[in-house]
Amino acid sequence: MKKMWLIGLNTFRESIRKKTLYIILIFALIVIGASKLFSFLTAEEELKMIKDVSFSAIEFFGALIAIFASLAAISTEIERRTIYTLLTKPIRRSDFVIGKFFGVSMIIFVNFILATAFFIGLLIFKKSPPNMDVFKTLLLIFFELILIGGITLALGTFTSDAFNIICSFFLYIVGHLTSYGKELVERTENIIVKGLADMLYTLVPNYENFNIRDKIVVGLNVSWGYVGYTIAYGILYMCVALFIALYFFEKREI
Amino acid sequence: MRRKGYKYFLAIVLCFVGIHLVQIQIDYRKKLENLESALVLMPGQVAGSLILGGFKGLAADLLWLNMETYWHSGQHYKILPLLQAISWLQPSYILVWTIGGWHMAYNIYAEVKTPEEKQYWYEQGIKFLKKGLSYPFNANKYDIYFELGWTYYHKGKDYPNAVKYLEKAIKYPHPDYVDDVLAHAYEKNGQIDKAIKQWEFVRDNYVGFFDVATRMINDLKTKGKATP
Repeated sequence: MKKMWLIGLNTFRESIRKKTLYIILIFALIVIGASKLFSFLTAEEELKMIKDVSFSAIEFFGALIAIFASLAAISTEIERRTIYTLLTKPIRRSDFVIGKFFGVSMIIFVNFILATAFFIGLLIFKKSPPNMDVFKTLLLIFFELILIGGITLALGTFTSDAFNIICSFFLYIVGHLTSYGKELVERTENIIVKGLADMLYTLVPNYENFNIRDKIVVGLNVSWGYVGYTIAYGILYMCVALFIALYFFEKREI
Repeated sequence: MRRKGYKYFLAIVLCFVGIHLVQIQIDYRKKLENLESALVLMPGQVAGSLILGGFKGLAADLLWLNMETYWHSGQHYKILPLLQAISWLQPSYILVWTIGGWHMAYNIYAEVKTPEEKQYWYEQGIKFLKKGLSYPFNANKYDIYFELGWTYYHKGKDYPNAVKYLEKAIKYPHPDYVDDVLAHAYEKNGQIDKAIKQWEFVRDNYVGFFDVATRMINDLKTKGKATP
């Protein structure tokens, strides 16, 4: 456990030295801050837009941070050949992968907290302090980001950086569309197509589960039950990503 | 190594079984809590959903900003397709229905010349509001019921329908003026006893309406008429 923690901490320290992540975070903060420009609208409309823009910015830029941080986590170690020194020490490969996952999660967490604090500050400034539903939305966005990071890390154990970026973005988009796809397939009579679609529906990460912001901003309530199941979904999928990462990293010839 | 590989494979399969079961629960709760993003097969809607993915709310906001621009430049007709698009993207955004209905029944109504055209746009406004009500999550709020009640009362002078929708509006949490309008609607609909009872309720519950409600009750009791 201590080894994993040290690897995680080292990954975190390395990442905070990278300018790319700061630039993405600054962009996120600018976009969130820019939502204040909607002051020409009525108070209700303005608040909706602030929430819409901020939730989207936290998620989108958070996804960028998660992808870029996870992408570099393993490949940089291989490129710089530091991994050879590391693996000669009494460290199991599983410690290394899980440690890297901890490190990436810490980066995502810190960036997420900074963007969220800015957003909450903006809401308080607008005299509309966040309610529990806002926190539920943020919680699900956070788990989605961690899942994106985990999947990118898993892909990084057996693909090149370029393929990983394409694949992660592709999954990010497709993951938001699987619900629609399922709805379309439900209208077909063909059992084979239906079966295949059901299988794909389970296999492809359903990021749309985490998307409750469109409902929250217009005042719909989301139960803790739904939030709990979605978090459970996220954790299970993270386990899948980690098992895949462990399998391929242990197989890899280093 | 091969044995370890099997272990991972088994663990992944078990996780996917768990994921499948949890996803069934999530889908069930989405239905239960109206969290589904319904896929309406209308021109542009599917493509829009595909392109926008998880950012439908943001897209609705951008269209809303366009609507503001058209609004301030007096291009009232250009607002109509935007209203439709926003209501497709985010049907639970109740403001789009109330503002849309009002825009048709009042602004475009005022712009057209002939009585037939005016009647057409009044009906379009009512139709748009009723379409908003067809979504279950909007039917649990006072907003659209009130807008319908008010449009029937004020623009259409259709008092039976005004009473019908205003009575529905007060079943949900609402601001005090909704009770006030309902009292007026009862009177105009010839239900004087109900109007007096409603004004008494307004007088006893809303301090700001005390003087008006007292005067209305007095006028209704003495003259049988209070609303000018």
